[in-house]
Amino acid sequence: MAPEISNQSLIFLVIFVIVPLTLSYYYQLGVSKNVLWSTLRGTVQLFAIGYILTFLFDLPASYGIPFMLTVMIIIATLHARQRGKELPYVGFVIFAGLTIIELGVLSLWLVFDMIEFRPSEVVPMSGMVIGNSMTAMGLSLERMKSEFKENHGRLLASLSLGAEPKQASHLIVQKTLHASLIPNVDRLKTIGLVQLPGMMTGLILGGVSPVMAIKYQLVISLSIFSSVSLSAMFITLAMYRYFFNTNKQLLQSDEEIRSSRSK
Amino acid sequence: MFRFENVYQEPLEDLNFTINQKDKVILFGPSGAGKSTLLFLLNRLSDPERGQIYYEGEPIQNHPIIDLRKKVGLVLQAPNLFPGTVLDNIKYGPSLVGNWKNSEGKKLLEYVQLPSSYLERDVDQLSGGEKQRVSLARTLANSPEVLLLDEPTSALDYRTAEEIEEVLKELIEEHQLTMLMVTHNLSQARRLGDRGLFLKDGRLQEDGKIPDMLDHPKTSQLAEFIEQ
Repeated sequence: MAPEISNQSLIFLVIFVIVPLTLSYYYQLGVSKNVLWSTLRGTVQLFAIGYILTFLFDLPASYGIPFMLTVMIIIATLHARQRGKELPYVGFVIFAGLTIIELGVLSLWLVFDMIEFRPSEVVPMSGMVIGNSMTAMGLSLERMKSEFKENHGRLLASLSLGAEPKQASHLIVQKTLHASLIPNVDRLKTIGLVQLPGMMTGLILGGVSPVMAIKYQLVISLSIFSSVSLSAMFITLAMYRYFFNTNKQLLQSDEEIRSSRSK
Repeated sequence: MFRFENVYQEPLEDLNFTINQKDKVILFGPSGAGKSTLLFLLNRLSDPERGQIYYEGEPIQNHPIIDLRKKVGLVLQAPNLFPGTVLDNIKYGPSLVGNWKNSEGKKLLEYVQLPSSYLERDVDQLSGGEKQRVSLARTLANSPEVLLLDEPTSALDYRTAEEIEEVLKELIEEHQLTMLMVTHNLSQARRLGDRGLFLKDGRLQEDGKIPDMLDHPKTSQLAEFIEQ
């Protein structure tokens, strides 16, 4: 077990802040106020979340876990939908996608006895899955929008040749998925080589043997890999259709996309 | 073949005219006059806000849209080829409905005067003129009755443009196609068209025979446009 960090030791961490503060003052960077404020804010935020987590982890699993997962999915939905606000039903689709993916992953963990149905295990692990899926959905939405803009001429050519919107968007969907999945694959390829994953580092520092820590890390890394891939596919395949109207015509502007389904 | 009744779609205003089968119509006019918009309406890439377009006597929206787009083929200003080979591109339309025969590839390239060895060539290796020929072959693969051409030679050098013009001339004669072509080039209009529609500010200013309307414009707007 790693030694407990005392409050006095934490105060000495101020040294780590003094260095950039001194440099900022010396080179007149004008960020001293920002450094101080960020340090203070970060510390308060972390302590606050620590106390909240302690409270939440003490709740009975039967309603504590569903409550916390719902809150996390709602916050993730609100955040990811910012990337595709002009698309109809985007919030609903993201919420549904995150819920399905989270429930799927959680069921696997529980069925195969990888974790216990306890808030202290389910919440942090689910947080990583939901957070990464949220980012994947947001990035896919953004990428899809830019691919639609970039390939405007090709899409028109394709439709004019008699393609259904699904057939015309095939290239866009392919490119979006490719762009979303490549960093995910790369991350998995270099895991443990470029940097030790955070969860594994935490477990080792907490006194867990490296092999056991690696097993946990594998569970979470593979879960993240699969949920990120599924999130990108889910959101892309669910949303490309909203770039067309019911007459199989390509919508030209955000305004047209926004109003297309309300007509 | 096409009849426009009070068609309004920004920037077009109250268009009323008829296009007959096998007409070779040149659409010309200053930029922003609505020429490309008009072609988009005929291929139903967009629909008018007001008014009605008839195709073969029926309101255009009564024709199944996919069939209509195949019958009324559109060649855009930029070739907009899909990534892959020439063959991937020209078989695109027929393949969508599983209607492609490999023997067609060679014939289509012959139409646009490209050697059959080009079938397996990557589209990234083609010159601007070759790309536009492939784009033309891709539209012809659907066996259209009408060919809509949106300034197909405007991005090409003079010599390549003339070559494409020759290809078009032969194709239209051989396949008895109805043609609507947007061009800024009045010499090209004389060479390819037998009827002209002059659009300005979204309105049809003059409709007449080529070359008569270019030699003896009836409106001051057309006279000014020709002088420019």
